[in-house]
Amino acid sequence: MQHKSRMRIIEYAITIWVIITLNFLLPRLIPGDPFLVLSSQEAEDEEIILSEEQRQYLFEYYGLDQPIHKQYFVYMGELLRGNLGFSLYYKQPVSEIIISRLPWTVFMVISAVVLSTLIGTIIGCISAWHREKWVDKSLFLFMIFFSEIPSFLIGLILLFVFAAGLGLFPLAGAVTHFADFQSGWSRIWDVIHHAILPVTALTISHLGGTYLLGRNSMTTVLEKDYLRTAWAKGLSQSRIIFRHALKNALLPIVTRVFISLGSLVGGAILVENVFSYPGLGTLMRQSVRVHDYPVIQGIFLVVTILVLLANFLADLVYKKLDPRVSS
Amino acid sequence: MSADKPLLDIRELSVTYTSSNPAVTAVSNLSLQIRKGESLGIIGESGCGKSTLALSIMRLLKDVRTEGEILFSGVNLMDLTEQQLRKYRWEKIAIVFQNSLEVLNPVLTIAEQLEEPIWAHEKLTAKESNQRIIKVLNMVGLDPSWKNAYPHQLSGGMRQRVLLAMALVCEPELLIVDEPTTALDAASKNEIYHLLRDLQKRIGFAMILISHDVAFISRLTSQVMTMYCGQVVEYGRTSDVLKNPMHCYTRGLLNASAQFFRYKDLWGIGGKPPEEMRIYEGCPFAPRCCQSSDNCRKSRPELRYVALERQVACHKGGIETFLKAEGIKKSFQVKNRVIQAVKRADIEIRSGEVVALVGESGSGKSTLAHTLVGILSPDEGSVYFRGKKVENHWASRMMEGMQIIFQDPFSATSPRMKVLDVVKEPLDIMKWGSPEERNEAACRALEAVRLPVNPEFLERYCYSLSGGQRQRVAIARALVTNPKLVIADEITSMLDPSNQANILRELKGLQNRFGFAMLYITHELHLARKVADKVYVMHEGEIVEKGDASEVFEKPKHLYTRQLFSEAFYEESKG
Ligand SMILES: Nc1ncnc2c1ncn2[C@@H]1O[C@H](COP(=O)(O)OP(=O)(O)O)[C@@H](O)[C@H]1O
Ligand code: SF4
Ligand SMILES: [Mg+2]
Repeated sequence: MQHKSRMRIIEYAITIWVIITLNFLLPRLIPGDPFLVLSSQEAEDEEIILSEEQRQYLFEYYGLDQPIHKQYFVYMGELLRGNLGFSLYYKQPVSEIIISRLPWTVFMVISAVVLSTLIGTIIGCISAWHREKWVDKSLFLFMIFFSEIPSFLIGLILLFVFAAGLGLFPLAGAVTHFADFQSGWSRIWDVIHHAILPVTALTISHLGGTYLLGRNSMTTVLEKDYLRTAWAKGLSQSRIIFRHALKNALLPIVTRVFISLGSLVGGAILVENVFSYPGLGTLMRQSVRVHDYPVIQGIFLVVTILVLLANFLADLVYKKLDPRVSS
Repeated sequence: MSADKPLLDIRELSVTYTSSNPAVTAVSNLSLQIRKGESLGIIGESGCGKSTLALSIMRLLKDVRTEGEILFSGVNLMDLTEQQLRKYRWEKIAIVFQNSLEVLNPVLTIAEQLEEPIWAHEKLTAKESNQRIIKVLNMVGLDPSWKNAYPHQLSGGMRQRVLLAMALVCEPELLIVDEPTTALDAASKNEIYHLLRDLQKRIGFAMILISHDVAFISRLTSQVMTMYCGQVVEYGRTSDVLKNPMHCYTRGLLNASAQFFRYKDLWGIGGKPPEEMRIYEGCPFAPRCCQSSDNCRKSRPELRYVALERQVACHKGGIETFLKAEGIKKSFQVKNRVIQAVKRADIEIRSGEVVALVGESGSGKSTLAHTLVGILSPDEGSVYFRGKKVENHWASRMMEGMQIIFQDPFSATSPRMKVLDVVKEPLDIMKWGSPEERNEAACRALEAVRLPVNPEFLERYCYSLSGGQRQRVAIARALVTNPKLVIADEITSMLDPSNQANILRELKGLQNRFGFAMLYITHELHLARKVADKVYVMHEGEIVEKGDASEVFEKPKHLYTRQLFSEAFYEESKG
């Protein structure tokens, strides 16, 4: 086992290394002068006009006059010191920008994961319990229908109805700017109030998957011999459901939760933009618009590391839950 | 509750799985009773509905349609709600499930799974329940330190013990044990046997033991029930049933069970068990039964008493007696001397049975055989074939009658006859069917004994055949009438050992396939021992010993038999 987890860590390290290297290579593989491409964009992006000075700076910054292996070592060295580069557009080190935005995305994704997993699993289990009856069939149709709607569309509808139409929620942002909060609680409430719609959109878009997983997993478990054993023992229904069925059914769900974090980050990027939520998603969009490569690369790197971290956690938790894995 | 009121009384139970398409009736119209402390064995091939019965007693099946009554201490479990059933489950009726990795919950420790039923049914403190767990683990011979292990950490044998411990934890009145020994090695099997025996003595639960291990059943139960296609086909005291099965299916099961016979080759029951369980109109066993006839397919046989404490579901009252000979005497006048060839012989051959008649040459075996088929008529006594007295040749001049295969196959017919003519001659004599049909029947019979059926071979003269071929032709000639009883008189004695073994094996295979009964006459005991179910020992015109082959060969009683065997098996007893 020791050996296996060590292998795991090496795997993660290699993955990160590959991503970093790709990050390094991509801009350099684009044929021609990257800054020329940058500067000759359509009128929409007129915000960036590269002066000769800036070009110079960029060239130096990327060390593009140096041989490629040297560039690589410099790049790695900088990364190790936590230096992700400098954003021209924001005029700020990339790491600082990302750190200021990251918490919002993480907050949103984690809320959505927790909610969608909880709700999806519960509904999935109810469905499995009533398998093939009308409860199951109608739940199934309903959930599949919703899971097919893309997250940004759900976001738009929510925004339109509950924020713009009914005015129940703010239209944009994560906090009320320049507000003078009376207490910590009202501040927290403000954050939650802003987060409700984006988190809901993300949760709904993810619910179909967790529902299906919960339903399948529970259905499989319900047919296991040990469940029959539990019934034979004359245990109470709640004990059978929670201790015998759910504990086993959760195993695949837990793994999926962590693995799905990656896809949720993707969804978050879209949803954030709908609600102008100040997370990595909006940052990403802006950076793409202005071709702020250092920021885009930084986001890639951070997201990759987060996803890998999630996988790692999944392994750990699974081991805790399933005795067959740890021995 | 009065002493003879049954603890468990199942009345006309039928269980149909509605989830499968078409619906499968796995238990049909089954009744049984068990008293306190009694033990009932259930045997039958897999798929005959044993587990379904076990699970339906505890009402554990979903997606089934159930009819009938399951009375436990007088309460009909079929009327109870899930909530009410909980009081019966495990506290009164516990089950040791068929062992598999998934019978125990993989994510709970042994202790957690053992203590659950205690908490569900009794008010014990944590300490008391822990003591109980240690007690039952000790009881089943598993070190209590295993209690914190997870199921996957245990071996198959240990899991079987855990299952047993778990079933005993609430001290049930009825314990159902489903296939406790499948997938266990011989040593573990033996241990489980001792455990079950001791525990039942100590705790006194009633037990339903499901197993296709007949030896296991024979040692642990007082009553036994044979199931086929969801029905009970035989029911009686274990010792009686296993010693003298009265339903063809039970006998087949016993013949297929290795523990029972030391020398005899094993022969499974011919034919396949029905794939999907349908409700048959007639007897479900008919396609495989060696004595089935048309009316077996018309209606279903009920379980009926055929002897004291013995019930059998068969239109013919169980295994039929094909041949019965009583007080046969036969002497010959040779010049001025009277030779008493058969002094006194009684013989009985039941359907599907191989009876060996052994004895030295000259002891009167062939004379007896000829008397049985009616070639010779006895001076005294009479022979009955399927209940009718044998006179003249009627029993050997009919389809499905009896046929004799002679020691010297073609002494009776001309060696100048062709193969085809020899084989179909019996049909010609009884004028059966059209000439084409006779030829076809002859070819089928030749194929059955693995002889060629090409025109060249059919046209060959018998004298040009080898010894082995000639013997096969003789067998085909007997089989062509589809006989119910074949008398084979020293058919292998003229052959070399390898041909002997082949022919005998084939004949036994044919017997198993077509289900005829056979009287196998030989002076070669080692051959008889391989195939015989019953043995008659003949000495100087008298039957001196008879009985089950296993018993006679293991423990011969008569002085002559012992002497005969000790000579024949000299090599063995030495080694
Ligand atoms: N859950 C089920 N659904 C449909 N058919 C079943 C189910 N379980 C068993 N059967 C069928 O019922 C018959 C009896 O099975 P079972 O009781 O397991 O026999 P045994 O225990 O004697 O091997 C078989 O034909 C089997 O295919
Ligand atoms: S003789 Fe007929 S009724 Fe009896 S077991 Fe055979 S087929 Fe069934
Ligand atoms: Mg079974």
